[in-house]
Amino acid sequence: MFYREAGQFKTSYQDDMAVFPIRQDRIGVAIILAAACAIPPFLDNFVVGTVLVPFLVFSLAAVGLNLLTGYTGLLSLGTGAFMGVGAYACYKLTTIFPGVNILVWILVSGFFAAAIGVVFGLPSLRIKGFYLAVATLAAQFFLEWCFVRIPWLFNYNISGAIEVPNRSLFGIPVVGPNATPLTRYYAILAIVVALTWIASNIVRGRIGRMWMAVRDMDIAAELMGIRLLRAKLLAFAVSSYFCGVAGAVMMFLWYGGGEAKDAFSINLSFTILFMVIIGGLGSLTGAFFGAALLHLVPIFLKFGLPALGFPIGGATAEHLTHIIIGALIVFFLIVEPHGLARLWATAKQKLRLWPFPY
Amino acid sequence: MSARDLPRDPVPGETLLRVDGISLAFGGVKALTDVSFDIRKGEIRAIIGPNGAGKSSMLNCINGFYQPQQGRIAYRGVERRQMRPHDAASQGIARTFQNIALFRGMSTLDNIMTGRLLKMHVPFFWQLWRHGPAMREEVEHRRVVESIIEFLEIEHIRKVPVGRLPYGLQKRVELGRALAMEPELLLLDEPMAGMNLEEKEDMCRFILDVVKQYGTTIALIEHDMGVVMDLSDRVVVLDYGRKIADGSPAEVKSDSRVIDAYLGVGH
Repeated sequence: MFYREAGQFKTSYQDDMAVFPIRQDRIGVAIILAAACAIPPFLDNFVVGTVLVPFLVFSLAAVGLNLLTGYTGLLSLGTGAFMGVGAYACYKLTTIFPGVNILVWILVSGFFAAAIGVVFGLPSLRIKGFYLAVATLAAQFFLEWCFVRIPWLFNYNISGAIEVPNRSLFGIPVVGPNATPLTRYYAILAIVVALTWIASNIVRGRIGRMWMAVRDMDIAAELMGIRLLRAKLLAFAVSSYFCGVAGAVMMFLWYGGGEAKDAFSINLSFTILFMVIIGGLGSLTGAFFGAALLHLVPIFLKFGLPALGFPIGGATAEHLTHIIIGALIVFFLIVEPHGLARLWATAKQKLRLWPFPY
Repeated sequence: MSARDLPRDPVPGETLLRVDGISLAFGGVKALTDVSFDIRKGEIRAIIGPNGAGKSSMLNCINGFYQPQQGRIAYRGVERRQMRPHDAASQGIARTFQNIALFRGMSTLDNIMTGRLLKMHVPFFWQLWRHGPAMREEVEHRRVVESIIEFLEIEHIRKVPVGRLPYGLQKRVELGRALAMEPELLLLDEPMAGMNLEEKEDMCRFILDVVKQYGTTIALIEHDMGVVMDLSDRVVVLDYGRKIADGSPAEVKSDSRVIDAYLGVGH
């Protein structure tokens, strides 16, 4: 009844091609963004640091992988490693050039991940599907090996850990032990919003159509004049850039240092892939939904249930969380194999007509 | 007045594509043997023949999917050796497929927009912001695509994912996608297969209009002899990978070898 585009007329193609052509959507997004900016200062540091910050990091990585797997149809299991490349690149850059703003290095480190991604994307011209997934697995294992065996990467630290230095922006510590979760949160929020906007620009334009054409029917895509290798490598590059930035953000703004080889393991690759699949392949909103389901719901169950008065202990809550999350994943995939994003789109479609049947 | 009596412009004239002694074999299977014919600018050239005669293989050779082992293909007088499908696309050869090859996850609009890819050049940097040159280019091509959508009368399905469309409309969208490339030579592989009478008549009308409005040259594979006889200017008949007849529809229809190929020979 309230969600309806009746009376909103488009007078130019430009209006028609806007991100959110329906006014109510624009209002909704504005409210979400305003809430994301205004509410966290009133939240507990713990909530900001362990709920919101990781959620944004996962979302960014899922957006990145979605460009590759969802939009271009190339399955990748190397996400964790590409994120690691971003983290180590950022670490080396800030060690060598400590004077430069850390946020700049975080954004630049993505380019290193992009370059590595292109190299490991080369087999994608010849192999597809599960076989490509196995080929990207090689990237995961090889890069993980590098992270452990090349001491130069972690500045010859004996424990092999990344030690995040203190770095400030306009006098406010953004990175390092002195940075508050709130500042880190805002830094991540800015990066995630900006990069998501760029991703949405890319996928709606020429490049996005090129990728989707390769995904849906590569023979016909070639006939449209698309050079398959170039399109696929571009997808690897852009996707890895996003993953690399997500990795740098994860290490510098969330973890605040630590043994990176454990952080960027194959588990992370799988987690991000599941987020993309459950959220919805080929949907940027889906990336956020997926990250929410796999990250926020477990935390809610673990801490929320006891807080609401359900008398369960820590260990029980942990087990219960695994069971419920597993069941939810199965449930959502049965209800809508195309992911939460499709479910959301269907709901919106229904809402446009509600309360009338058609 | 039949469709063929409509005045047409430009008048069929110089040779656009010449196929000379093409032979194509897959291992021991000979798909094409020493096939030669030409396609003139502005004509509708039909390629017919019984199932398995090598018609689709012929189209695949023309647009670079297959590399024939022998023979030459000259397009616009320029002979070519190794060619990939995207080279054919950039030279102005578009095609549709027998079993629809649309991008099923994309809307009608996006599908037809992919036909414009070769004509879009704004660099990646601008694509990131979707402003300035990128947006202007997008709008400019959207205008062209909308004119094609109007031409094919598919305005109502503009934003529908093509996977959800009925078969006849999908065929029409595929024609639209090929037209968006503004091809000089359009290869249609059974554009009317599986259609009912009205859909076929619509499609015939679109094909004739394409020739008239855009001056496109068309090579057409079709099984419906009525359609072939009505639409085409000249017909090539293939059987078991060999050319058995070539000429106007009337000539071909009365050719004894063609009749034998279609009806069988008494033993």
